[in-house]
Amino acid sequence: METLKYSEILQQNQLLKGIQKGAPYKISVLSNVTINSIKEIVEYSLRTNHINPSITLGNYDNIIQDSAKQTDADLVIVFFDMLNIVDSVAAFFENLNDEQYSNLKDKVCSEIDMILENLKHCPSVVFNTFSSAYFISNYSHKSKIETFVSELNRHLDERKSINVSLLNIDKIFSKIGIKQAIDYRMYNSSKAPYTLSFLKNYTAAVEPIIFRNTGRLKKAVIFDCDNTLWKGIIGEDGMDKIDMSGSSHAGHFYNKVQQIAVYLSRQGVIVGICSKNNEQDVNDVLLGHPDIILKDEYISIKKINWNDKAANLTAIASELNIGLDSIVFIDDSAFEINLIKEQLPEIVSLQVPSAIYEYPDFLLENIYRHFNFTLNSEDAKKTEIYKQQSERESDKKNHKSIDEYLSSLSISLTVSKDDLAQVSRIAQLTQKTNQFNLTTKRYTENQILNMMNSSTEHVFAVSVKDKFGDNGLTAVCIIKTDLQNKNVYCIDTFLMSCRIIGRNIEFVFMDYIMSWLNVKSPAAIVTAEYMPTNKNEQVQNFYISNGFTLMNEKEGTKAYSLELSKYQPKNITYIRTSFQGGKN
Amino acid sequence: MENSKSQIIKVMSAVFEVPIESITETSSVDSIESWDSVKHLNLILALEEEFNISIPDEEVGNLMNYKLIEMIVNECRK
Repeated sequence: METLKYSEILQQNQLLKGIQKGAPYKISVLSNVTINSIKEIVEYSLRTNHINPSITLGNYDNIIQDSAKQTDADLVIVFFDMLNIVDSVAAFFENLNDEQYSNLKDKVCSEIDMILENLKHCPSVVFNTFSSAYFISNYSHKSKIETFVSELNRHLDERKSINVSLLNIDKIFSKIGIKQAIDYRMYNSSKAPYTLSFLKNYTAAVEPIIFRNTGRLKKAVIFDCDNTLWKGIIGEDGMDKIDMSGSSHAGHFYNKVQQIAVYLSRQGVIVGICSKNNEQDVNDVLLGHPDIILKDEYISIKKINWNDKAANLTAIASELNIGLDSIVFIDDSAFEINLIKEQLPEIVSLQVPSAIYEYPDFLLENIYRHFNFTLNSEDAKKTEIYKQQSERESDKKNHKSIDEYLSSLSISLTVSKDDLAQVSRIAQLTQKTNQFNLTTKRYTENQILNMMNSSTEHVFAVSVKDKFGDNGLTAVCIIKTDLQNKNVYCIDTFLMSCRIIGRNIEFVFMDYIMSWLNVKSPAAIVTAEYMPTNKNEQVQNFYISNGFTLMNEKEGTKAYSLELSKYQPKNITYIRTSFQGGKN
Repeated sequence: MENSKSQIIKVMSAVFEVPIESITETSSVDSIESWDSVKHLNLILALEEEFNISIPDEEVGNLMNYKLIEMIVNECRK
């Protein structure tokens, strides 16, 4: 997008208008400067990523008033810019005496507090950090304004709640240069300081947050091998001619790329290989090349054969039980990249840059765009979990009936309720789970936190273990009490991570929820919904198989109901359940 | 300068969200309904980016019809 001209963005945006269906993603932009030109750029970015945008701009220099009115925005972006704060001071900033300085600081800090307070119920807030990059300053001396800015940023960081992401605009300034980012002429005439270049880069910086909030983050990075993970062709050049050495001229870029891949794997991203080669050749490198960094243990899946790559990537998606649109694919060959772009357009395909020194940064830039690294302990275990999954798959073949197989796994569930320590993981599951997800409602950490603290909403989570290992927290159910009729409970969310599908865990979990409701209110009515998406077809009959009755169907959404007293528990004996933690 | 003419019309069409055919040499702030102060700012930014020029501050407020835009753009490109 950074390379697209503004006029082209406007033109494309017009053409894309109305193509995206579905509920709009509502963004409010609040600012103390003029920032109208951002609207079409963000719209265009969302539309090209299949999100239907609805963007509202606040009034000029009305952040506090506007923040009080945000009731239904999915995301609020706050531009509280230092340029205008400094302009509000008549005196030259460096001339402020201690009293004036601390008055101004108190004023801005209390404004920050008010904004954060007003926005605390918003699902997601992006608050730009304060910057002093606009102001001429002595290279070796810290000016008053620089001190002021660092104090504001510290205050902001201390006061922000979990729904707030701080976006460091200094990073954009240093990327493109302050002269390319700020147009003092337009600031002077229209209070519009930002250049198109800044706004395009800013939009790119906000994208990952929007992708996270709308469940569009990627899950896997699949690498080609020759001239992608190392220089040279293993089948022709052989083991001692391919180069991935950290100390050679060409090899060290590949070395760095492998280090990035290891980092990804440690962050819980699935790292895989899809290469046209003899399998033995590549395995020899992964297991025995003296310079190999991306060792076999970091790789969750390998397709090394002479089949076409579209077929291999399709197989990878189905074996990992993830969607094609969760995959990023990297290859040096224009042929392969074009093939995938044509045949599997859902996959993000990246071609290794011909200028090889650009390769590691190019990779990182794309990674930061498509993945979210708020590391939690679940993610770090993922490589292992996916490996266990393939072990389980092969173990399946040694057992006769599926029930025999499942009981041999010694599955045990630990259920917790409203456990604040799990907020981040639960929010992440609602954002990322697509297949076993009855309503696909995406929640931010702040929304989950509010539900946990509410007396009418209950957040259940399940951690799953079996003899092969610990799958971690992988299922969530949210129950809401009907505010009109206290006797009616609604299953707002019922989801399971794809890594535990096919083990009847959903039935055990449902038994647990129903018995919990039974203790609370034996005569209750339980209602539930199935909302169809492109990916959750496999659960369309889930409530029927749990004895619910279909009440009505509107635009594909099916509404169900069940008298709790009529519920027939499945009583699956080979899965053990225990309750732990949180409040009951 | 025929080249700049079609480019200017393309930019105006994109910014004001009107069809290319509807923009002529006589188009002005009076004939294009969506031409308000916000769109005017976007027009200046888009023209500058399109032609890699910087329009002087004192001219920004003058570009109120196609003829003047063409004149200033060509002036800046010299």
